[in-house]
Amino acid sequence: MARKSDRWFGLQLAAPAGFILAALLIIPTIMTIVYSFHDVPASVSSLGDFVGFENYSIILSSRIFWNSAWVTLIFAAGFVVLSTIFGLGMALLLNESFVGQGVARALLIIPWATPWLVIGILWRWFVDGSVGGLNALLMHAHLIDDYHDFLADPSWALVMAIMAAVWRQASFAGILILSGLQTLPKELGEAAAIDGAGAWHRFSYITLPWLRSTLITVIVFNVIYAFLQFDVIFAMTQGGPGDATQVLSILIYRQLFGVTNIGIGSALSVILSLAALAGGLIVVKLVQRREAE
Amino acid sequence: MPGLRQQRTSTRAPARHRKRTRRSLLMSIGFYLGILLFGLWILLPVWFLVLSSFTTLDQLSERPFSLIPDRITFENYYSVLTGSTGTEAFGSTDVGARLVPAIGHSLLVSSMLVCLNLLIAGWAAYGLSRYPFTGAKAFELSVIASRVVPAIAIIGPFFVAFRIFDMLDTSWALLVSYNIFTLPIAILVLKNYFDQLPREIEEAAKIDGASRMLTLWIIVVPIAKPGLVAAGVLIFLEAWGEFFYALVLTNQLTVPPLLAGFQSVQQFNWNTLAAATVMSMLPPIVLVFIFQRYVVNALTAGVGK
Repeated sequence: MARKSDRWFGLQLAAPAGFILAALLIIPTIMTIVYSFHDVPASVSSLGDFVGFENYSIILSSRIFWNSAWVTLIFAAGFVVLSTIFGLGMALLLNESFVGQGVARALLIIPWATPWLVIGILWRWFVDGSVGGLNALLMHAHLIDDYHDFLADPSWALVMAIMAAVWRQASFAGILILSGLQTLPKELGEAAAIDGAGAWHRFSYITLPWLRSTLITVIVFNVIYAFLQFDVIFAMTQGGPGDATQVLSILIYRQLFGVTNIGIGSALSVILSLAALAGGLIVVKLVQRREAE
Repeated sequence: MPGLRQQRTSTRAPARHRKRTRRSLLMSIGFYLGILLFGLWILLPVWFLVLSSFTTLDQLSERPFSLIPDRITFENYYSVLTGSTGTEAFGSTDVGARLVPAIGHSLLVSSMLVCLNLLIAGWAAYGLSRYPFTGAKAFELSVIASRVVPAIAIIGPFFVAFRIFDMLDTSWALLVSYNIFTLPIAILVLKNYFDQLPREIEEAAKIDGASRMLTLWIIVVPIAKPGLVAAGVLIFLEAWGEFFYALVLTNQLTVPPLLAGFQSVQQFNWNTLAAATVMSMLPPIVLVFIFQRYVVNALTAGVGK
């Protein structure tokens, strides 16, 4: 047991960070919740009238919200699944030894080190309908006859936004999974190979179980980032065309700073936070249940 | 710690390894096809960006344009750096003329945050690791939990507060608000790092009569350098690339909101934006490449839990 003066010293060391985080996280969180129960005037000179759950009932009965929630869900599902699978695939490839492995591993880091907004801009123009590289490539490959304006097409716009976000997140997943693979003792796979286990069996009975905790972390991160995502979609489509890519974070931004509806925007923020929290918890719970079985 | 570096030793002695797990021809073809796809997936968007920054709009407008340009130009870089892009916005300021000041603000905010956060997070992480106080575990858990709160969700009160204190459109607004992303990361990375460090040297220093604070500065800081560097790089990355708070709290003060603003300007030119975008990508990528081993270790250290 640490001495009393040691514990006091530890508390002193942690105090500045504690105060800063408490002030910057707890106060705004409480204020956001308070705003969400008021009809806050655009000037925010006062809280305005207390309206109870009215903001929430307006949101829950609005078609725009449900559309946005649906788009968020599709985005999140595509983002989480593809980031995890691509990340796993890249990590498995780069874990093999081959000429140029070092270069390939350096490449893996580039998307992760690139700011989210820059990825949005990069992909916005990569898939552009008049100067885009993707169109040029597809036409060189004779897959299309003429350029297609992907971002003006409601269904393609969401797909492209997902791909852009996955481009970054899959690298992050790949980096984590690759270092998980590097701790896997080579002998395990070799012993299994000698016993006649095929590649698929070695993967599903040795590699996957070994990566379990890494994959859980990766998926939890992916779920959280899916709900947080703003930059990429803002840079690529601003939520459009129409509201085809208007995820909740974009809707919040528009409510707070477009039409300055602070009460509604705050209530939406509370809903989004709860959704992100629930998403993370569900993943953890699912994992725990499988563990218990 | 297994890092990228460690694995390289196995590539130096591939012969033995190859003999043991010889791949069939079909597997080899599949494998190299996978590597090719991987390379294209990462490099095509980047190549398109770099290509755009060195070519003209006319070149890109050809359908389909050549992926290897017949001539390149430095005009785009020249015009964004000298503020002569010809795209006017915000009164009559050339968008390009705002890029260099924005890079300055981004550098200022990011590097000040790195210094301040390493100090504050370093104290906290060291306290959590070596002198666990009552509630230390709860403190650490709430730091982890704070990463789930979407920053977007709590921007409203920040906006209101900074308007009251007349701090909108200043570096101060960012320097204060960015702590909600950077401080938790720094605390968690450093706590992990301190936990791995041997305690014996510190014990010895204490027996020799060094105070706890002196031990921290003289003994711990020098041996904790890799952890501090990794945390510093992660803070820098986060601050350099942050967009949403800069968009809302400032008028394109830093690089990301300026780049986004570029796109909404009339008669703007993708090639100039591409040049500006390349420049904004370089600092984080160069930093990560230099400190690759430290950063990857720090990222993956917390995963095993």
